[in-house]
Amino acid sequence: MDEKTEAPRNPGWVQILLIGRNPKRTMLRAAITASVMLLVFHGALLPIRVEGISMLPTYQEHKLNFVNRLAYLFHEPRRGDVVSVRTSGKSIMFMKRVVGLPGESIAFKGGRLMINSNVVPEPYLKYPSNWELPPRQLGLGEYYMVGDNRTMPPELHTKGVVERRRILGKVLL
Amino acid sequence: MKRLMLVAAIAVLGFVGWRLFGGSPEGAVRKQLNTVAETTSFNAGETPLARLANAQRLSTFCTLDVAITVDTPRGSQRTFSGRAEVLEAVAGVRSALNGLVVQFLDIEVVVAPDKLSAVANLTARARVPGERDDYIQELKFTMRKIDGDWLISKVETVKTFSLGPAYERRCAALPRQS
Repeated sequence: MDEKTEAPRNPGWVQILLIGRNPKRTMLRAAITASVMLLVFHGALLPIRVEGISMLPTYQEHKLNFVNRLAYLFHEPRRGDVVSVRTSGKSIMFMKRVVGLPGESIAFKGGRLMINSNVVPEPYLKYPSNWELPPRQLGLGEYYMVGDNRTMPPELHTKGVVERRRILGKVLL
Repeated sequence: MKRLMLVAAIAVLGFVGWRLFGGSPEGAVRKQLNTVAETTSFNAGETPLARLANAQRLSTFCTLDVAITVDTPRGSQRTFSGRAEVLEAVAGVRSALNGLVVQFLDIEVVVAPDKLSAVANLTARARVPGERDDYIQELKFTMRKIDGDWLISKVETVKTFSLGPAYERRCAALPRQS
């Protein structure tokens, strides 16, 4: 009986380097990693790059950050949270701080935030401001958002009332 | 089995491509709006003749009774009615600015059941060379299909942040920036 047994072929070092000793296992690992990355960065964490100066000095321009889209699954946005506000999509979002909650009246007097006619301290503000804005009553599902840099005239600063459906999540870092 | 999966994948890709690149009314509207954004953009040093020709071309994307209402960066509102006013406004902007790059992002299109009109919501990003910040504005385009072309019949500003009537009146009363 002339039986030949073929010895298992050893993979070359290039193959080991590129796809490992077991290509099937490597493919499976890559697929799982890609799925997890897709789930995390598309579903839970949204990578963003900060542009503009409206959140200075808390958030510097051109820095990378993430939006936690799961932050408001179990509770609603709170005063002081920095959130991302969507436009018609997610290519461009606004990063703002929540200062007014549904049902509250918001005003600015001498640069100070007034909620229901009471001054509310804002420890995150580092630059002086002299904004004077009339009271604005918020309805159900409405939040008042503003940036931390209020050194410019109020009409040049993007701020105002945002509907709850536009809040995508909380800024992570 | 493998062949079946390949055929299915090709069919899915074909359908997605057809939906995205002009096979459907949504795709045609998207394509038209991207052309509008490209035509609105211009480089520094545009000659007066080219300026007029491009402004003229841009006005042909609009219906004769087009109505455009937009908010200016300082909060006041401007309205342009009819092609002639649009042409004049576009030519004015092109001569005042030293270049402009316009992009329409996240275009969401809803076509009416009769497929003769559509509404598109999008985010416009305009960049003027030498200026620090981009101008970002959500816009709502109402389009009508006339002689096979999707033309702009109405443009309105969508407010991401609403400020309330008292504050908006105050902003509108501010002197315009030159």
